[in-house]
Amino acid sequence: MHTPPGVFSIWLSHNQHAMILWAGALSTLGLYSLLYRENRFYRFWEHIFLGLATGFGVEQTWNDILLPRWWHPLWDKGEWWLIILLVPGLLYYGIYSRKFNWMARMVIGFYLGVAAGQSFQGFVNDTWPQIPASFKPIIPHAAIPALHNSQAIPALSIEQAATNVAFMVILLCVLSYFFFAFEQKNRAVQTSARLGRWMMMFSFGAIFGLTIMARLALLIDRVYFLLYEFGSLFEPAGTKNQPSWDVMGMLVALIALTLYLSWRYGEGRPGSTGS
Amino acid sequence: MMRILRMMQTIDARYLYALLMLSVALPFFIPFQLPVVVTPETEALYDAVENLPANSFVLVGIDWNAGSRGENRPQTTVILRHLMARHLRFALLDFSDPQGATLGEEIAHELQGQYGYQEGRDWVNFGYQVDMVNWLKSFVLNVPGQVQTDSSGKPVASLPVMQGIRTARNIPLVIDITPTGSYQTYIQFMAGPYRNSMKMGVALTAVMAPDAYNYLDSHQIVGLLAGLTGAAEYQSRFAQEYDKGLLLRSRVTRYSNSSSSAHILIICLILMGNIAMILERRQRARLHAKG
Repeated sequence: MHTPPGVFSIWLSHNQHAMILWAGALSTLGLYSLLYRENRFYRFWEHIFLGLATGFGVEQTWNDILLPRWWHPLWDKGEWWLIILLVPGLLYYGIYSRKFNWMARMVIGFYLGVAAGQSFQGFVNDTWPQIPASFKPIIPHAAIPALHNSQAIPALSIEQAATNVAFMVILLCVLSYFFFAFEQKNRAVQTSARLGRWMMMFSFGAIFGLTIMARLALLIDRVYFLLYEFGSLFEPAGTKNQPSWDVMGMLVALIALTLYLSWRYGEGRPGSTGS
Repeated sequence: MMRILRMMQTIDARYLYALLMLSVALPFFIPFQLPVVVTPETEALYDAVENLPANSFVLVGIDWNAGSRGENRPQTTVILRHLMARHLRFALLDFSDPQGATLGEEIAHELQGQYGYQEGRDWVNFGYQVDMVNWLKSFVLNVPGQVQTDSSGKPVASLPVMQGIRTARNIPLVIDITPTGSYQTYIQFMAGPYRNSMKMGVALTAVMAPDAYNYLDSHQIVGLLAGLTGAAEYQSRFAQEYDKGLLLRSRVTRYSNSSSSAHILIICLILMGNIAMILERRQRARLHAKG
């Protein structure tokens, strides 16, 4: 049987999808094998991922940026002056030589200056609008209609006013915690600073909780991949949108084996904290 | 008794990982729908899309990679679904990671058949770009001139989707979906300077969301999706208006159910560990008192 033009291998093109799913499943399990303990299987897949991500980055940078914006205009459209861009680009490689690293410092210094100038604009658009937004009304009132050049002011309910009071109190307390211009001897300042610290602790707790939520989402996505996408290889056609009991069985068996090994070799006994 | 209390505090972490894995996997086999309360920040983003005039152009930042797929993919899916259901034009743009442009395009291709969308006519992929700050500064002044070609190499100026899009003033809404601080650069160099004609929404991973509430409070962004929960809320709101059956067949619902189940397990484990610690301390104090 002849291989059609443009096809590397008929067998490969028929089984490409299944091979991709198998690679995805093996790499997922490989990376999660770290939960049992550090091992070579995990290391292998970690390196594969690093290599793939780097290779993909290089390919995208060339195809999406350098090729259409530099190479094609330079060679196909005759915009020869674009060759000049190569000079500052190459200067960056001076960092690999002790003798010529001053060349890299020139371009790095140039871009530091550019970035510093841009950060002024960034700061104005980023932080300044938050300063007036921090001054919130704290007395409930009815809606005030627009008069002459002034804008209409929406009504402020008791609940909104209470929220604004809480906001203002927390804002002042946290600011007082970061007020290091003089020693905090005053009792009122000490109390508000302590309260500010507590408020920050609450927010750190919320951030930590959200971090757990974020990590769980990653696990859920991988389990979905195993049960649905990889699982579709084991299910009859037409049941693509159903989770695979076969894969679930494999997962349970794998978990049971891991727990047995942990228990059998002493690491899973009560008192051991695992990996 | 003491042995059980001690065991509850020193149990091997691998048993907990196994329980967590099961609590995540089992809900996929049981179709159910937990009630979803839509938070004001999600509602605000939904309204921002809903209130756009027909055929408006929306810029969607796909600044995520496979590492945050669990959260950003459902967010991208629900947002693109809403844009398509409302017959709005959109462009995908990626700065943070080379994978983003491909992952976003994959989702758009997956959904476009359901809504009669076509690449080039209704949506376009601007691809992966570098040097976000300078790129955006040029983009806001001349959109087709800066983009030049889409991800497949076609000149964007000739695409029907780009009709009437010259500068940032022709883009009424930007939504950045990201696990990074890229949305801040959008605020600084695009949504901020063009605040009179452009609104901005963000969809972030849960861990990034607390940082964005400042911007929400100061109206620098109109709405916010926080992690997977945000995606589930948005989908729930979308389903009320457009497709009630979506909740039962959607991947986001399944993710959300698994997430709830795992959260319940974690809360139970935290409570059990702490209760065991308190009981053990009391038991020790009692034994100590007896001598």
